[in-house]
Amino acid sequence: MQVVVDGIEVEVAPGTTVLEAAKLVDRWVPTLCFDERMVPFGACRVCLVAVEGAPGPLPACTTTCRDGMRIATTDERSRRIASNVVELVLSELPGPPAEHTELAEVARRLGVGAPRWTGATHPVRHDERHPYLVLRHELCISCGRCVRACDEIQGAFALTATGRGFHSNVTAGLDAGFLQSTCVSCGACADTCPTDAISERLLVALEEAGGASDG
Amino acid sequence: MADTRFDTTVSTTCGYCGVGCNLEAHTRAGRIVSISPGMGPANRGHTCLKGRFAHQFTRARDRLTAPLVRESGTFRIATWEEALDRVASELLRIKAQYGPDAIAGLASSRATNEECYAMQRVFRAAIGTHNIDNCSRVCHSPTSFALRKSLGLSGCTGSFDDIERAEVLLIVGANPTEAHPVAGARMKQAALRGLQLITADPRRIELADYGVLHLPVHPGTNAAFLNGLAHVLIRDGFVDEAFVAERTTGFETVAELVAAYTPDEVERITGVPAADLERAARLYGEADRASIAWGLGVTEQRYGSECVQLICNLALMTGKIGRPGCALLPLRGQNNVQGSSDVGALPDTFSQYRSVADEETARMYEELWGVSMKRERGLKMQEMFDAALDGRVKAMWICGYDIAQSDPDIEHVTAALSSLEFLVVQEIFENETSKFANVILPAASFLEKTGTFTNAERRIQLVRAAVAPPGAAKTDLEIFQLVSERLGHPLPYAGPEDVMAEIAATTPHFAGVTYERLEGRGLQWPVAPDGTDSPILYEERFEQPDGLGRFAALPYKAPGDEASEEYPLILVTGRRLEHYNVGTMTRRTGNLELLSKDWLEIHPEDARELGVETGDLVRVRSKHGEIAVEARVTERIDPGHVFTAFHFPEVRTNLLVGPSADVNTSCPEYKVIAVSVEKVGAPVEERVAAGVA
Repeated sequence: MQVVVDGIEVEVAPGTTVLEAAKLVDRWVPTLCFDERMVPFGACRVCLVAVEGAPGPLPACTTTCRDGMRIATTDERSRRIASNVVELVLSELPGPPAEHTELAEVARRLGVGAPRWTGATHPVRHDERHPYLVLRHELCISCGRCVRACDEIQGAFALTATGRGFHSNVTAGLDAGFLQSTCVSCGACADTCPTDAISERLLVALEEAGGASDG
Repeated sequence: MADTRFDTTVSTTCGYCGVGCNLEAHTRAGRIVSISPGMGPANRGHTCLKGRFAHQFTRARDRLTAPLVRESGTFRIATWEEALDRVASELLRIKAQYGPDAIAGLASSRATNEECYAMQRVFRAAIGTHNIDNCSRVCHSPTSFALRKSLGLSGCTGSFDDIERAEVLLIVGANPTEAHPVAGARMKQAALRGLQLITADPRRIELADYGVLHLPVHPGTNAAFLNGLAHVLIRDGFVDEAFVAERTTGFETVAELVAAYTPDEVERITGVPAADLERAARLYGEADRASIAWGLGVTEQRYGSECVQLICNLALMTGKIGRPGCALLPLRGQNNVQGSSDVGALPDTFSQYRSVADEETARMYEELWGVSMKRERGLKMQEMFDAALDGRVKAMWICGYDIAQSDPDIEHVTAALSSLEFLVVQEIFENETSKFANVILPAASFLEKTGTFTNAERRIQLVRAAVAPPGAAKTDLEIFQLVSERLGHPLPYAGPEDVMAEIAATTPHFAGVTYERLEGRGLQWPVAPDGTDSPILYEERFEQPDGLGRFAALPYKAPGDEASEEYPLILVTGRRLEHYNVGTMTRRTGNLELLSKDWLEIHPEDARELGVETGDLVRVRSKHGEIAVEARVTERIDPGHVFTAFHFPEVRTNLLVGPSADVNTSCPEYKVIAVSVEKVGAPVEERVAAGVA
C-alpha cells in the first residue's frame, strides 16, 4: 500500500507505523519514548503528526499506516504540543540536559530553550552501588525506556517505575539497587536512556571532570 | 550529531564469545571510555556485560608492554630486535638439529582470521611442518567433525535469526543466558513471545524457567537421549519420508538401531522421564519449523562428536534443515572458534577444511608460497604434549591460549612444557603458560587491531582497532611477519586486508570476501565470487559428493568416567555470566566486583547427606586431582551432580579433569568427571593462601 508523507509518496508493507513510513523518506519526527529495538509505547506524545481526516494530532509511533493516508510531520499544532511537552519535561529537571543526550537533541531541534516554567524539580539522588551503572534519579523523565529495554531486549525484569505523578521515578529492584536486583549488568537501560539518568560511572566521572563541551 | 564526549568511535566486533556482537567503541585520549552496542545482525543493538563493560583489561597495569626473555631463570625486558632474533635463531637451530616437525604451534581462537591464517602459513611454509592446531580442539572440534561427516560443512546450518523464526527450539548441553548472553536474551525473548523451548541439561538453567519442558539428562548419556528422540519420532510417524528418500542416505540403519531406545530404556539410562522424552519428540516433530542449539555440554564428552551426528539425524529424518526456522546451531565458545579452523590453523587441513593430503590444494599452496610440503597431517594439540614428553617436539610457539590453566590433565601439560628446549608465548598478560616460556612476546587485544572474526553463524565480520596497543605491544599479525621474515620466508602482506585477499584467492568459500563487502552486516560463508553469501545452508543439496545428508547409526556408550563408591558424584563444569573462560581479561575489570569467586553447586539432598551448607569450604577430589572450593546448595543442579566454573586460578578446577577425550577429535571430557565432595573446615581464602588447594 501507499502513503504520502509531507507530499512524498512511499510504498509501505501492512503494519508499518507512521513513524517508520516517515523514516523511509527521511522525514524527521521528534521522539522521546521511542526506541526501534522495542515495541512502540506511545507515552511521551512528542512524535505527534497530522493525518488528513483525523480530528487531531496522532502519535506516529503507534499509529499504523492505512492505504492512501496523507501525513504531515511538520504540522504546526502537532509541533506546538510536542514542544510544550518537551518544555514541561525540561522544567522538572534540576538543570539543562547534557548536550549529547537524546532529550537535549530533541529540544534543540524543536527550538525549545530554557523552560518558561519554574517550580519543583526532582531532587538530586544518585545510586552508585554498581561497578559500572549509575542511576541519577533527578534526571529520570519516566519515559519507561529503561524498564522496557530490561524487559523486552534483555529479559531481566530488574527495573520498575515507582511513585506517582511528579514523584514517579525508575528504580532497580524496588530501590534495592542493581546488584540486589535481577539485573544482569547488560547495560541496555543505560544505552536507551534519553537523559543519562542511567549511565556509566566512567562517563559520569568524565563529565564531572569537565568533559569537553558537555552542557 | 557527533558526540563531543568522545574523540573517536569505532565500529568493531566483540572479542569475547562466539555470538559476534557488533560494538561501538568510544575513545578519549587514546583510551576506551565506553562501549555501546551496534545494530549488528547477531546482536541487534544489544550486548552483555562482557562486551559492553569488560574493557578495562586493555589498560591494566600488568599488560605485557615489552618483550621478555628468560635469563638465568628470570625474565628481563628485551628489545623487539633481540627477542625476535632469539625466537628465529632458536627455531632455526631446532629445525636444523631435529627437523621441522620438532616445532609445534598453537594458534588462538581469540585472534583474527588473518592472524590464524598467517600463523599456519608460518608453520607450513616458513618452518615446514603441519604441527599447528588451535584451541577449538578443546571445545567445538567434535561439532566441526560431525557436521562435516553428516552434512558436509563445518558450520551452523542457519543463522541466529532462526531463533525467532522457529516454533520450537531444543537446547542441548548449553546455558546461553550465561555463556552466550546475547543469543540467550534472544532465545528468552522469543520464548516470551511464544517460541516453545525445550532444554536438556543436568542443570536447571535459567532458560528452563521460560521453556515448556526441561529434561535433566545425566552427563554422558546424550547419545541415549538423542537416539530416544529419534525412536519416538519414527514410532509416532514424524519422519519426512520424501525428504529422507530424496536427500539422505542411511536412514534404515538408524531406524534399526534406535528401535531398542524405547522411552523406558532411555529413562533408565538418562534419567529423563519416558513421558517427557515422548513429549519433547512430539513437540519437535509436530512443529513445521524447529531448530536445535547445542553447546559444550554435547561436545566435551567422550562421544561428543557422535552426539552431534545424532543431532543431525533428528533434523535429517524430519526434514527440518535447509529452510528458515530450521537451524542446527552450535553455540561457539570463543569469538573466532569458527574462523580459526576455517582458515586452516589445524594440523590436518588447509583453509576450508581441505586435507593437507589433497594434492591439488597442496600444490596450489606450494606454488603460491614457493615451498614443498608433506602430505601427512601434523600433530593435534594433545599429541604435541605427548611428543614433547618423549622428545620428538623440542619447541612450541603458543599464541593467546593459556593451556596450563585451561587444558585438562594439567600436570601432563606442564610436564610437557617443562621438557621443551624452547617455548615462545605470545600473550596480552603473563599467565600460567608463560611461566614456562623462554621468550614472551607482548600482543595486542581485540580492541587494538584490525581483521575479521567469524561468529557462530559463519558470519565473517570486521574487527577494527579502536586504540593502539599498549607500550611496545604488537598485533599477532605483525609478530608473525617479523618472525617469518627472519626465518627466510617473508609474508607479502602490507596489512590484514592483504591476508584476507590471499585467503579469498585460495579458498573457494571465501572467494567473494573483501573488506568493503564486509562493511555493515558481514558475510556468511560460503561467499560466491560476486559477494552473495549464505544465511542458510543445504537448501538444495548437502555438501557431500552425492549431495545426500548422511545418517549415522551410533549407539549409546558409557562415558569415560562414571560415579563409583569412591567418587559418587558427577562434576560438570561451565561458564558464569560475569566471566570469560580462565578470566584473564574479565578478572581485570569491574566484573570481578560482580562475581569474585568460583563456587560448587550441590543439590540439597546431596548436601544434607554430606553435611554441607552454603558457604562451607569443600574438598572436591577426582582420580586426577583435588581442589578446595566454596559450596552453594541449590536445586538448579540435579541430585548426584555438582557444578563449578573454571574462571579463577585460585580454584584451578581443571586439575580435576583427566585425559578422557572425544574419540574422534580428542576434545577433552570436561563435562563428566566423577568426584567426591567432603566438607573441610577453614574458609577458602586461608586454605588457598596455605597452598593446600
